[in-house]
Amino acid sequence: MADPLLIFDALLGVALIALAIAVLVVRDRFAMIVLFIIFGLMTALAWVRLSAPDVALAEAAIGTGLAGALMLKTLHHIRAAPAAPVPVSVGVVFANMGFCAMVFVGLAIAFMATSLEAPGLAPQVAQNIDASGVAHPVTAVLLNFRAYDTLMEVVVLLAAIIAVWMIERGIEQAPARHLGEIYRGFARLALPAIVVIGTYLLWVGAYAPGGAFQGGAALAAVGLLLLLSGLYRPQPAHRPIARLGFVLGIAVFASVALLVASGGRLPFEYPPAHAKTLILLIEGVVTISIAVTLAALFHGREPEAIPVSETRA
Amino acid sequence: MSTALSITLIVILLSILGGLIRILRGPSPAERMLAAQLFGTASVAMLLILSHLMAMPALLDVALVFALLAAVTLVCFVVLAEEERR
Repeated sequence: MADPLLIFDALLGVALIALAIAVLVVRDRFAMIVLFIIFGLMTALAWVRLSAPDVALAEAAIGTGLAGALMLKTLHHIRAAPAAPVPVSVGVVFANMGFCAMVFVGLAIAFMATSLEAPGLAPQVAQNIDASGVAHPVTAVLLNFRAYDTLMEVVVLLAAIIAVWMIERGIEQAPARHLGEIYRGFARLALPAIVVIGTYLLWVGAYAPGGAFQGGAALAAVGLLLLLSGLYRPQPAHRPIARLGFVLGIAVFASVALLVASGGRLPFEYPPAHAKTLILLIEGVVTISIAVTLAALFHGREPEAIPVSETRA
Repeated sequence: MSTALSITLIVILLSILGGLIRILRGPSPAERMLAAQLFGTASVAMLLILSHLMAMPALLDVALVFALLAAVTLVCFVVLAEEERR
């Protein structure tokens, strides 16, 4: 009899492909979002089966949880302000198809050209892990060996929130109504738990799967709950604090790189004696930035002064 | 023991794939959302079994994050659906 886990893997693979097709062909926009959330769940399981719990954790936190909430909010926004669908010209459709085909061909070539027996970079990481300041290879790569890439990922988030605040500037929205005791009760129960788990994910990243992005996503869920339950209402006066939150991670990350570089080393070549401290410092502030930015992306617009008449509605 | 767990895993996966019908046919958003919640709960169960089978305690953290964020997504859905009705 075949290994039952092999059957599970085959089922999971078929389900993933079927879900990917279903997300693209289904007509109902809400069903599309739900299917995409489930696609994320199944993808996380697939990463688990590929022995990549780090990717599974990131997929669970960002791909499934927060992306689902963001898409639900976007759908709500589209419905609240219905706009006439903009007709897409045939030229744009074909250009898009052309770009997709190029990406596909590029990936196919890269896949075919890579030798399956190649050892990859794992031995090099294992060799230098002692100098990195952390015990978990994924964190060592993300925050030390390839820290520049991680800095750019945080910059992408900053660019996203800048774009959202610019596009939605001036759109007014009456504050959310009082949602009743159930939500507040749930929020009171869940908020402390989420804060503990988010901080735990950040801390555990030094020697096990976890880290700034996963912890930040969990802490962003705190922001979502606060916004949804009406326990926190964004005020125009809070904009400077939010802006500080958005840039804090990048500012500290870049200053550490510059300070290290000014000491006659390469940027991100942390002195081994202080590597652990520096990595924890960077991860801590980046976590705060990620959490604030994701929560602000969920809120979706720069807090504006709202006329008094609307707040009484 | 591990064979029994693997078979349990397959049964859970098959049972939630049945829930896909509800998502595709709907008709109301609440039915679709509840089916998605079923997927979330079942995924937690599958992760717990897999963490034992694959000897990866880190999967317990993944299950924790799943359980947590599934609830947040549900609250998000209920609040937004409630706002739309008014």
